[in-house]
Amino acid sequence: MTQPKLELVALRKEYDGGDVVAVDGIDLTVERGETVALLGPSGCGKSTTLNMIVGLEEPTAGDIHIDGRSVIGLAPGKRNIGLVFQDYAVFTHMTVAKNLSFGLEIGGLPRSEITRRVGEAAELLGLSSLLKEKAAYLGGSQLQRVAIGRTLVTQPAILLLDEPLSNLEAEARQAMRRELRRLQGKIGLTIIYVTHDQTEALSLADRIAVMSAGKIRQYDRTSTVYGDPAHVFVAGFIGSPSMNLVRGEIRRDGPAISFISDQLQVPLPSRFAGVAPGHGEPVIFGIRPENIMITRPGHPGVTGIVSSVEPRGPEAIVTVRSGNKSLDVVVPAADRPARGDEVVLRIPADHIVLFSGETDRNLSLSPILGAAA
Amino acid sequence: MNAHSTTSAAALHMSGVSRSFGNRPALKNVSLNVPSGAFVVLLGAAGAGKTTTLRIAAGLEDTDEGSVLLNGVDADGLQPKDRDVAMIFDNLALYPNKTGYENVSNPLKVRNVPRDAIDQRVHAVAGTLRIGHVLKRLPKTMSGGERQRVALGRALVREPKLFLLDEPLSSLDAMLRVELRTELKRLQQEHGYSFLLATPDFQEALAVADTIVMLVDGEVRQVASPQDIYDAPADRDVARFVGAPEINLIPATACATMSDRRLDLLGASFITAPGFADIDGEFEAGIRPEHIRIEHPNNSAIRAEVLDIEPLGMRSAVTLKASEIQLRATLSAAKAQAFSRGATVGVELALDRVLAFDRSTGRRID
Repeated sequence: MTQPKLELVALRKEYDGGDVVAVDGIDLTVERGETVALLGPSGCGKSTTLNMIVGLEEPTAGDIHIDGRSVIGLAPGKRNIGLVFQDYAVFTHMTVAKNLSFGLEIGGLPRSEITRRVGEAAELLGLSSLLKEKAAYLGGSQLQRVAIGRTLVTQPAILLLDEPLSNLEAEARQAMRRELRRLQGKIGLTIIYVTHDQTEALSLADRIAVMSAGKIRQYDRTSTVYGDPAHVFVAGFIGSPSMNLVRGEIRRDGPAISFISDQLQVPLPSRFAGVAPGHGEPVIFGIRPENIMITRPGHPGVTGIVSSVEPRGPEAIVTVRSGNKSLDVVVPAADRPARGDEVVLRIPADHIVLFSGETDRNLSLSPILGAAA
Repeated sequence: MNAHSTTSAAALHMSGVSRSFGNRPALKNVSLNVPSGAFVVLLGAAGAGKTTTLRIAAGLEDTDEGSVLLNGVDADGLQPKDRDVAMIFDNLALYPNKTGYENVSNPLKVRNVPRDAIDQRVHAVAGTLRIGHVLKRLPKTMSGGERQRVALGRALVREPKLFLLDEPLSSLDAMLRVELRTELKRLQQEHGYSFLLATPDFQEALAVADTIVMLVDGEVRQVASPQDIYDAPADRDVARFVGAPEINLIPATACATMSDRRLDLLGASFITAPGFADIDGEFEAGIRPEHIRIEHPNNSAIRAEVLDIEPLGMRSAVTLKASEIQLRATLSAAKAQAFSRGATVGVELALDRVLAFDRSTGRRID
């Protein structure tokens, strides 16, 4: 049986004598060679979690295992973890080669071994032709590659990347994502990737742990987190634009079941009959904007007025107001209606998600078919 | 504030503005217009001249040439404080030892506005920005988004004629950024404020702008609505800047045959769509990733190898190699699941959506 590379067990961090709980007893298992993203908004506890893994902060309770052994109490330098920050912390007065070899030289590694490792890392990161350049002359994405290279030469057990792309411009960020994906395939390193950016998490991770308020709300494969969110927070956080989420209640009329929220009423498919709560109970109705279809007045569905049209290039986000509720719909740019148009929204039953109004958990046990349109 | 302004005058009108620092030209003959009540976005990479443009509008920077009109009045010689504009930077400087209320009310206090009027105004602004709950708190106890909204409130409280925003959202995390840009758009639509916002983020620009002014190396390359700048970019630089993944640029040749017109690209020949009627010879074909379809290899004239599949939620971005050229296509996540890395696939191009660029000048050919 292969051992997990990293295990967090009921990990907890409190500040101010328990008044503030930054990390609220999380469990997480990362397999060897896997890339896992810790994803969440500012203040969700992901950075504190990272700091505890690295050893910069001690947990209040719980345990951290690397290769099956607890590392609690072990100094940061002894944990064999490579850490790369968004601020590259590259020595700009040194050459690229010196930046890569510096740490190993201090460690007293033989010259030949240093040369070999630096050559390998430079090759891997496309830095071979830049080895003699002063780091001061490099651009943001090159600096970030140097920072990653400097970590790789130490041959860490786990590579921790803390918002590594935040300081790059959009184009460089896309290129660096491709670069990191290529790197993953080549080196097979275990990577923990901390980010607030869902695109990076979706792009790079095998599995995503979505965090909010110090808790892991869902830990699953990337496609599952998007297609079958377990918690209302995950549904709202992942996806751009976010999933439409409307609070309301269940209405049962004989065998028929529907969702109602003020004037908005949507019939629900029979698969919800068993899992949804009783008549009058609170639920949150969810539907992704790309799964709603816009049709003309006269068709059956939810009638509303277009209140805004936000172009995104290939498509547009159309906000439709129906009564006192708004629903976002993604349509191809060429098919977009105009502000003020009356439209009818068709909500395909297959794509509806229901969350408990009390626990915020997904009520459906079976996965949603066909996550994307 | 300005008795002579008329409602019809543009909030800001810049004409032929140039500015150099030493011998480095920062702005070259820049003209732009912010109609009253409009949301205009200055879009460009770092160093394109966005901040210099805003600083000139605010009166913090001089021009070498050109004119600046604010509400129809020549701003030459007007001090920053007399311009009735509010400038908000990315690094929002709140007074750390003052509460939310004191921060927001400060601009009115220094103008000796009566206390009752200040109180009324601050609460109105706090309601608009949903910061009522932090008015009694110090900045250090607020979240990043709350601090940003307090900074915005401090600018709003004066009701200036024009807001100048320099990357106001770039230090916020993704979720807050979307929330606040929606807020800015709402302020414009509901209160009729005028905005000039500078950003390097094209998605932000598309989301909020009525009009986008695209700056490249200190020059205005294009002024257009968001959809037009995407569908009909003025040149190759604009086409590459707006859109993710980036537009595919592929060498192509168009020529007339006996009976038809022919388009050659990626090792295949097509009888062309009417759009290429005026092109004869070599050009650069620009194809957006969403206009490339992936098919069974037997069904297409172009074959490609799948190099990478990047899941992005609703969509996946697929990197392909055809005739030694890398292409990026976007398709729905469900469809992308049918392909795997290393597979050979067929490529279909939406020929009617292909943009043509001049190989040397980069200008788009209509």
